[in-house]
Amino acid sequence: MENVRNHRKEIRGQGLECGKNLQCRQNLEFGLRIRLNQRQKARILLIFSVIFLTVTVILGICFHDAAMVTDFSRKNLAPCLSYPFGTDWLGRNMFCRTLTGLSTSILIGILAAGFSAIMALILGICAATLGKTADSGITFVIDMVMGIPHVLLLILISYAMGKGLKGVIVGVALTHWTSLARLIRGEVLQLRESEYIQIAAKLGCSKWQIARKHMLPHLFPQFVVGLVLLFPHAILHESSITFLGFGLSTEQPAIGIILSESMRYLIMGKWWLAVFPGLMLVLTVVLFEKGGTALRQILDPGSVHK
Amino acid sequence: MKIKKVISLLCTAAMLLAVPAVNVYAGAEDQSVIVTMPTTSEPESGFDPAYGWGAGEHVHEPLIQSTLVRTTKDLGIENDLATEYSCSDDGLTWTVKIRDDVKFTDGEPLTAGDVAFTFNTCRDESSVNDFTMLKEAVAVDDTTVEFHMNEPYSIWPYTMAIVGIVPEHAYDENYGQNPIGSGRYIMKQWDKGQQVIFEANPDYYGEEPKIKKLTVLFMEEDAALAAAMAGQVDLAHTAASYSEQEIEGYGLLNVETVDNRGFNLPCIEPEEKDGIIYGNSLTADVNVRRAINLAIDRDEMIENVLNGYGTKAYSVCDKMPWYNEEAVTEYDLDAAKALMEEAGWAEGDDGVREKDGEKAELTLMFPNGDSVRQALAEDTANQLRELGIEVTTSGVGWDTAYDQAQSEPLMWGWGAHSPMELYNIYHTIGESGSAEYSPYANETVDNYMDEALASSSLEESYDLWKKAQWDGTTGITQEGDIPWIWLCNIDHLYFVRDGLEVADQKLHPHGHGWSIVNNVDQWDWE
Repeated sequence: MENVRNHRKEIRGQGLECGKNLQCRQNLEFGLRIRLNQRQKARILLIFSVIFLTVTVILGICFHDAAMVTDFSRKNLAPCLSYPFGTDWLGRNMFCRTLTGLSTSILIGILAAGFSAIMALILGICAATLGKTADSGITFVIDMVMGIPHVLLLILISYAMGKGLKGVIVGVALTHWTSLARLIRGEVLQLRESEYIQIAAKLGCSKWQIARKHMLPHLFPQFVVGLVLLFPHAILHESSITFLGFGLSTEQPAIGIILSESMRYLIMGKWWLAVFPGLMLVLTVVLFEKGGTALRQILDPGSVHK
Repeated sequence: MKIKKVISLLCTAAMLLAVPAVNVYAGAEDQSVIVTMPTTSEPESGFDPAYGWGAGEHVHEPLIQSTLVRTTKDLGIENDLATEYSCSDDGLTWTVKIRDDVKFTDGEPLTAGDVAFTFNTCRDESSVNDFTMLKEAVAVDDTTVEFHMNEPYSIWPYTMAIVGIVPEHAYDENYGQNPIGSGRYIMKQWDKGQQVIFEANPDYYGEEPKIKKLTVLFMEEDAALAAAMAGQVDLAHTAASYSEQEIEGYGLLNVETVDNRGFNLPCIEPEEKDGIIYGNSLTADVNVRRAINLAIDRDEMIENVLNGYGTKAYSVCDKMPWYNEEAVTEYDLDAAKALMEEAGWAEGDDGVREKDGEKAELTLMFPNGDSVRQALAEDTANQLRELGIEVTTSGVGWDTAYDQAQSEPLMWGWGAHSPMELYNIYHTIGESGSAEYSPYANETVDNYMDEALASSSLEESYDLWKKAQWDGTTGITQEGDIPWIWLCNIDHLYFVRDGLEVADQKLHPHGHGWSIVNNVDQWDWE
């Protein structure tokens, strides 16, 4: 524990130093431009991502009913004030549909990525602590899952689970844990050899105590960052298998469905059916990615220098 | 499917690039046409009638082979290979005399033996069409063939109209890849996943084909539209959603069809059998079913969903010789509401009707990825909401749709050149005592159809088929049990290059594929 605390102090020290440096630079520039240090930038980025994603999810849930309404009197409208993203061939409001789709994707992403990350944590720790047989067994499973192309495995699992919401969540959850599990395994292997753990063992701490008190706090930043960085993958993969027709059923508002439907109408010049939902998807994924990186910078400032 | 679509798109793109600027009017000079069809129209098992070529899920004339008889423009029957045919009084033996001057394209004559062989092979092999009524086909001499039936089957000529005759001497398991026939065209080349090229048969026994070369390209509608825009094809199939597109040098051709869309209404109270629920508590009431039929504004639906390219449907067989016009039901929302009140479904506060605390709710399913059926389902839901029935739509895959349709309505597509379709939809099957696709049983309707099949002539059977639909007291129409609601027949749409005269089409059956080229031999360039 002491070790970790020291480590933290060190981190804060680094941060302070950074801040001082910048302060000087700011003074030099007579404060004409507001310059932020990396940490502040990261914090703002993180807050912005969180707000954006939360608002998207809430709006999406509020718009759920509106997203399902079909009205043939307003079909195929180009973007305008009342329908910022236009309407499709059933007269559905694409703005509502896109937001609802995104919120579904984000919720699926959180659920699947959360489950995946917990699986990774447990398997990673097991591999590193339960001896050679368990390690080689788990490593074999990791290699096997990683060896099969992601989307292929996803389609297989989703199809076997009867497609739909359940199929997608289980599919994404069961395929995304591998790289994080490998990372955590490596980290634990390294930790196990470190002095303070060795000493703790010598002092008679049980394996469970070591894992809980000494290893978990150290693994936490890796874990959280890994979890957040799983979201964009989960969201993209949810969208892709839905796009390919192995995910949610077609009356649902989901980004994959919106995009695959828009393919038919692109040739007619109905660009808004693909452009806005596509942009929103990219924006969401990028924000998750940026938010994750920012979170890493805050939790593990040393990584900035890597 | 989607992967297939992408691949086909890429293939098409590659193909279009590979063919350097085709002369725009090349077709006019050498009397050839290039036609597009959906990728699903490519016969997976080859051009073998025993495996569904012509006689499969979607029926059409087999072009490469000739048939004993064929359907006329008004869906009657005329001779092709046959010179005469007759049925015994008990309906169990059909005797067909055939021409003696017909040769296969390999020079061998076509005899009654080939005919018998073809039908016996179909009976043994076909998994896509029903040949169970045929006991055996026997060649009596070179020009006479007898069909011995297991049970009377008065509409046998409609089966004879879709089975292309194959040569016994040149038939093996690879026949579908290299078909030999006696039809109007010879298959020259088949690039799987891309195209099939046909050339006119110079020794054809009938009228000489005007179009000498037919190229069929398999692609999805968006690719077909792109191909037409690039001027690469002479006739491109298309959908109502593309109909507003104007392409220079092309006109829009709409062909009327019996390619109908409609949904089933389970007619019994729900009960579970073998893990499947049969029946629906709302639609078990005949007044509710009648109200639904009255509350459908078909004109508005055709305008909304099909851009006007469709005709109102009141039965599975509109405009066929066996169609009973009593099926016509005009839109009348007030009458529909009155019927619901009569049935005890009173309007609730939120506009949704209730009866004994139960809300009037339905789930209307449609096959995933079929945008027209999805739109029809959505429009039906909107229209039934006016009536006070809350309808939610749901996309389903065909793997589960059949079971689910036993308890909830599903948006179906039907339409064939044979009254057998009435039988398939409304007649009870086997021991279940219920129709196959949606729970329904009416003994009188069953009897009329059995009688129709047992009658000794086709003309006689038409009347009985009509009576099965409505005989004055009972049937499957609005005044009867109305177990299915029919919405519209979808026009088949094509972009046709100016100057190409497409011959008059008979009503197309279900399937937007080969039907258009049924009479390609009579097309012409101006």
